Amino acid sequence: MEKTRIGVYVCWCGTNIAMMVDVEAVAKEMESRQNVVLARTYKYMCSDPGQDMVIRDIKEHKLNRVVIAACSPRIHENTFRKALENAGLNPYMLQMANIREQNSWVHSDRIEATRKAKSLVAGAVSRVNHHQPLNKREVPVNPASLIIGGGISGITAALELADAGKRVYLVEKESELGGIAAMLDLTSPHFYSISDSLKTLIRRIEVHQNIKVYMDSQVKQINGYVGNFNGEIKIGNKKVKNIDFGNIVVATGLKPIKPETIENYGYGVFSEVITSLDFEQVLKKGSVLNAYGIKPKNVAIIHCVGSRNEDYKPYCSRTCCMTALKYANMIRSALPEANVYQMYADMRAYGKHCEELYADTSGKNVLFLMYDQREGMPIIEKDAIGPGVLIKFNERLSGEDIEVPAELVILMTAMESGKDAKSISQMTGTSLDANGFFIEKHPKLDPVSTTTDGVYVVGSCQSPKNIPESVSQARAATANILATIAKGYVEVEVITAEVNEDICCGCQFCIQVCPYGANNYDQRKAVSSVNEALCKGCGTCGSACPSGAISTRHFTDKQILSQIEGIMAEVGSG
Amino acid sequence: MSTRINPDFKNELTHFGKDEWNECYHCGNCTAICPLSKDGFLFPRKDLRAIQMGLQDKLDASLEPWLCYYCGECSETCPRDANPAELMMTLRRYLTSRYDKSGLAKLFYTNHIWEYVVLGLMFLAIVVAFLVFLPLKTDAALMVNESGGVMINSLVEGINAERFIGIIEYGDWTMAIVIALLLVSNIVVMFYKSVLSENGIRIPFSSYFTEAWQLVWNFATQSRFSKCDDKQYWIGHLLLMTGYTIMFILVVVFLPLFQIETVEPWWHWQRLLGYYATFGILFFLTIVTIKRLQKRDVKLKYSHPSDWIFIVMLALTTISGILVHIFRLQGMVAATYYTYVIHLAILVPMLMVEVPFSKWSHLAYRPFAIYFARLKTVAAEVEKEKSHKELVPAVGS
Ligand SMILES: Cc1cc2nc3c(=O)[nH]c(=O)nc-3n(C[C@H](O)[C@H](O)[C@H](O)COP(=O)(O)OP(=O)(O)OC[C@H]3O[C@@H](n4cnc5c(N)ncnc54)[C@H](O)[C@@H]3O)c2cc1C
Ligand code: SF4
Ligand code: SF4
Ligand code: SF4
Ligand code: SF4
Ligand code: SF4
Repeated sequence: MEKTRIGVYVCWCGTNIAMMVDVEAVAKEMESRQNVVLARTYKYMCSDPGQDMVIRDIKEHKLNRVVIAACSPRIHENTFRKALENAGLNPYMLQMANIREQNSWVHSDRIEATRKAKSLVAGAVSRVNHHQPLNKREVPVNPASLIIGGGISGITAALELADAGKRVYLVEKESELGGIAAMLDLTSPHFYSISDSLKTLIRRIEVHQNIKVYMDSQVKQINGYVGNFNGEIKIGNKKVKNIDFGNIVVATGLKPIKPETIENYGYGVFSEVITSLDFEQVLKKGSVLNAYGIKPKNVAIIHCVGSRNEDYKPYCSRTCCMTALKYANMIRSALPEANVYQMYADMRAYGKHCEELYADTSGKNVLFLMYDQREGMPIIEKDAIGPGVLIKFNERLSGEDIEVPAELVILMTAMESGKDAKSISQMTGTSLDANGFFIEKHPKLDPVSTTTDGVYVVGSCQSPKNIPESVSQARAATANILATIAKGYVEVEVITAEVNEDICCGCQFCIQVCPYGANNYDQRKAVSSVNEALCKGCGTCGSACPSGAISTRHFTDKQILSQIEGIMAEVGSG
Repeated sequence: MSTRINPDFKNELTHFGKDEWNECYHCGNCTAICPLSKDGFLFPRKDLRAIQMGLQDKLDASLEPWLCYYCGECSETCPRDANPAELMMTLRRYLTSRYDKSGLAKLFYTNHIWEYVVLGLMFLAIVVAFLVFLPLKTDAALMVNESGGVMINSLVEGINAERFIGIIEYGDWTMAIVIALLLVSNIVVMFYKSVLSENGIRIPFSSYFTEAWQLVWNFATQSRFSKCDDKQYWIGHLLLMTGYTIMFILVVVFLPLFQIETVEPWWHWQRLLGYYATFGILFFLTIVTIKRLQKRDVKLKYSHPSDWIFIVMLALTTISGILVHIFRLQGMVAATYYTYVIHLAILVPMLMVEVPFSKWSHLAYRPFAIYFARLKTVAAEVEKEKSHKELVPAVGS
């Protein structure tokens, strides 16, 4: 048998790791471990020079196993597996030790952190000795796609795929396409009419031969894996339709919160107070009037209603600042004499042409008044002497307690995740963040994929986004999907469970516990077997099996125990 | 108590200079860069805010505009080109109109035609008064002294030199007292609004005296001005101010010593002082005029009609004064008399209009504002010390 030759690489991650961990000491300690041929450190292992170093060493020093002590494997395991592959090594001969998220970022004692890093790396070294080469499996891709949600994001994705000649199933739960964009008048920062563009897009969808739209419909169930999904769609109240598709785009958007829950704004109490979406409908009618049908002399636009506040939504709803500026401009043109107030907490005018819109609006006799949510939110009450309401708060830029009369108040309400987000995330095997928004695979490098291959999350179901951002995401996802379709096959996870038929007693515990329905019982042999296409390698069956007949590839008992042994073994201090 | 905002207030500032108040987004760069904004008196951003929101009482009580010397550094750093320096200038004009209860200052600032009219009428009144009541002697040509100079006090029909000087001196004093009374009453208004009506502030009585030196010191040296980056401008302004003050004192207090019948040698103290004053005034006026026309220097880029009236009147006064001097030395009797009349007919309206009702009032408002600001600072320090003592009990108690 070929002799085991391990290379160990300890990454500095700039200062992220090196500041808290003595990387040189860690490498030095590893040099003396059994089968370790060399141990090096490098500033950024994931960089091209870092990877090249590994590739070169594999070739020159005939390494057949590699340990990389760096960040979380969730971030760079694939990077390094590819490097191994490029050097002609099986990608599974790699083991990562996470000394950043699980060490340098969370500790403050350099000596202890270094010791812990040594243990973690020692565990990885010990484990990698028992790694086995695994071979990837390829399955063909079904070129049809399922798109859930017919807002601007879903519409864009549908047309992109359909125009490329691929079949699209577009599922929309409402009776109209367009989502929130269909409720908008002109859009910031350019004052384009989105409804005009939407009408054209929707008409194209309706007549497109490659698109099948299911209105008033919901997805009920999804099975399968990338390239080979299968789903059930409930159309209207009863009919259920079964379809097959290779990729999924989730574009279910978001919805405004109910401002009634924030009592100090008096929504529902004073007719003068309306929400931003209400105001879009006012604008669509063509003249700015309040609920009493009169032209307001004073219009107040209150920002961050329910956003950026721990009691409601901690995050920024992202599009409302620019929308508020859009309103100020539209009110200024409709009512040249009116006083327009922006009551804001911070002005977020990031992005192309947005600061320009802000500066431009400032020049239009719009008064920007700043409030601080922590000091108390604006309070709306009836104006004792005037016709409308009074908005009272402490104005931060002057330090004064002020009151502002207004006959029309627009609340820039926060946006929250759609109400079906949870069920859709369960069906698609994706996750939601603490605020109920879909989590993308990597916030920077993989912003529309998810940890489930073949499932993409685009537009405002991920987090509040404006139209250009939503559209770009939709297009990004379709590019990914078309690339998969063009390749014709996908590589599926090889880390699956396997049953040792000689030991399996046929108790079928594994079948009961598998969350993915991947275990079957073979009547003839009287043993369980694993459908590798469905198995996600979660390991549940392995721990349930009383006979120890099931093990998960790449997570065998031997591998895990040797890792623990490595971690528990004595290491040099400091 | 909350204040109701008044976005229409800014319209009241129309014609005082700057009239665009929207650009500022309150980054605070201007206040940070201002070399004079400190010690609890922070400007210019806050004043801009008060205008935007229409906090008129706050503005009326604010001393900050007088603490600013228009160095222009704030305007140069403003990312929004909101021109806060010009805002402070505008506020000085506005405040001048607020202290003056007669309404004339406001009238002159917002409608400068009226200023021309009043200046013109006063000019005519003085010229006519001279021609009617103090006409040139028929035998005036004889009134030349041994060195060939005109005996300036003996040119009027039926009145001897002492009597003439007496009349002019009487007029001078009357004018000075009227101006002083007007200024003092305005300063009382300023004091009332900025110090007395502010709640919860108690000025320690002794500080009125201990801080009084601020008045004289700041009037004489404009030491705050010297903290701006452009030192040459401060020196130029100091030349003008000292020249002007010397002239004023010579003319009002020492008239009998200054306006004399004989011609003293050029190195005589009163001639030397006169030359210094004339040089100081002309030097700075020339520089300012050039810069105002060039519109390059940020502090002299924007000129309000009141700025030009001020420059032109002062220049005319000085030039007519120089002409009187030359004609007198040359023994040109009639020319001396008529330029003297014109000189007075420019000088008197200039002082009567400019000092209490317009740009020149700053000579009094600035030192007093610094004094009042100092008083408030002292009061705040005392207050802080007191609360500190209450918080930290004496050792052993
Ligand atoms: C008041 C307001 C003003 C705005 N103004 C602007 C602006 O001026 N400029 C700008 O760029 N952006 C603006 N935006 C933001 C813009 O509306 C969004 O960027 C855009 O609508 C996001 O599109 P989307 O397709 O991602 O989501 P959505 O528009 O929310 O669409 C989601 C769609 O999915 C459907 N759906 C949800 N759940 C399911 C389910 N379970 N099954 C099937 N279908 C489902 C919904 O019915 C909906 O049709 C504004 C937003 C608001 C609220
Ligand atoms: S975009 Fe602006 S208004 Fe909206 S939550 Fe963020 S800061 Fe507040
Ligand atoms: S330029 Fe950068 S730092 Fe400045 S406001 Fe924009 S995002 Fe913030
Ligand atoms: S590893 Fe998980 S997914 Fe695979 S068969 Fe076992 S329980 Fe099912
Ligand atoms: S005047 Fe200019 S520098 Fe000053 S706060 Fe406003 S924007 Fe900033
Ligand atoms: S002009 Fe100069 S002194 Fe006046 S506020 Fe601006 S920086 Fe300060």
